[in-house]
Amino acid sequence: MVPSKKEALSENGRAGLLPALKDRAGREGCLNRESMSGLAGQYHLPLNEVYGVSTFYAFLPVLPTGKNIIRVCRCLPCHLKDAQAVIGSIKKELGIAPGETSGDGKFSFELVSCIGACDQAPAMMINDKLYGDLTPAGIAEILKSYA
Amino acid sequence: MGNVNVNIDGRKIRVREGSTILEAATANGITIPTLCHIKGQVPSGVCRVCVVEVEGSRTMMGACHTPVAEGMVIHSKSPKVIAVRKVIVELLLTAHTGDCVNDSNAENCALHNLASDYEVGAPHFNVRNPRFYPAEESNPYVKRDMSKCILCRKCVKVCGEVVRKDVLSIGYRGFRSKVVSGFDEALTAEACRDCLKCIEHCPTGALSAPARV
Repeated sequence: MVPSKKEALSENGRAGLLPALKDRAGREGCLNRESMSGLAGQYHLPLNEVYGVSTFYAFLPVLPTGKNIIRVCRCLPCHLKDAQAVIGSIKKELGIAPGETSGDGKFSFELVSCIGACDQAPAMMINDKLYGDLTPAGIAEILKSYA
Repeated sequence: MGNVNVNIDGRKIRVREGSTILEAATANGITIPTLCHIKGQVPSGVCRVCVVEVEGSRTMMGACHTPVAEGMVIHSKSPKVIAVRKVIVELLLTAHTGDCVNDSNAENCALHNLASDYEVGAPHFNVRNPRFYPAEESNPYVKRDMSKCILCRKCVKVCGEVVRKDVLSIGYRGFRSKVVSGFDEALTAEACRDCLKCIEHCPTGALSAPARV
């Protein structure tokens, strides 16, 4: 029988799941069925729960992604500072819409909830690096450094 | 624990300390609607249909998860409560895609019954992204029609905490939230047997027994 959530918590530190998922995603690029099943076994959790956690967090990629992941904040402060223009600029530059990966596999483009950089709105992250105070005109240069 | 005195809808009621407002009301024949609460289980307070007015409180309180306190004055049917409940039902209906009105299962849909009790019709506001999922009929015991699901989480709770099978979880987030099994796949007959507890608790027609062929 699958142990209840409570049992898993007391025995195996269910809290360890999130860092483990992040680590796995970092090493393998994305979380697939195999890696999720493995972690589910390791933490004595049902696969559906691991899947639920993985799909909740924008920073845990579940689908294969490009080499670099662009995450543009879509929350209110960035929106008010015209993140829409930045999003438009990225679309134009890469020819892909949010949720898509470029044909050459270099970039995935996503819109995410607040990334905690409201003071530098509009902001985005490329992989682990934060870019703030973005302007539509400055996008091309930033992307060029990843090409 | 001792007893406390509360007043619900003008009635003086003495209940055990630590009871919830819902428990106190139900024990005294006062009906407060709820779509997400399972009697005897830890309340989740997600559907918000059970909101009541508590004098001195800035906000409405969920009756299913608010413990009573000495001297509490509660209104479960005031005009303000009714008005708020109507909006809540209206909001729930927006995420409740499907043709329950014409459906043979409509009388089993607690949300539709509630909408009818509270005279709530189609939403007044535009619905940007209607939730639609194809119905899953692969499991011999449970038919899942997630378009009708209002995310009350009762099935997740009953499967995990009562039956202790933990077959269901909430996946994704925000508007995309959905009750998932496994790797968001159709329920297999191996994972889900015929306990049928989730069907019993589902307040809408999202989970039902498949038609026998």
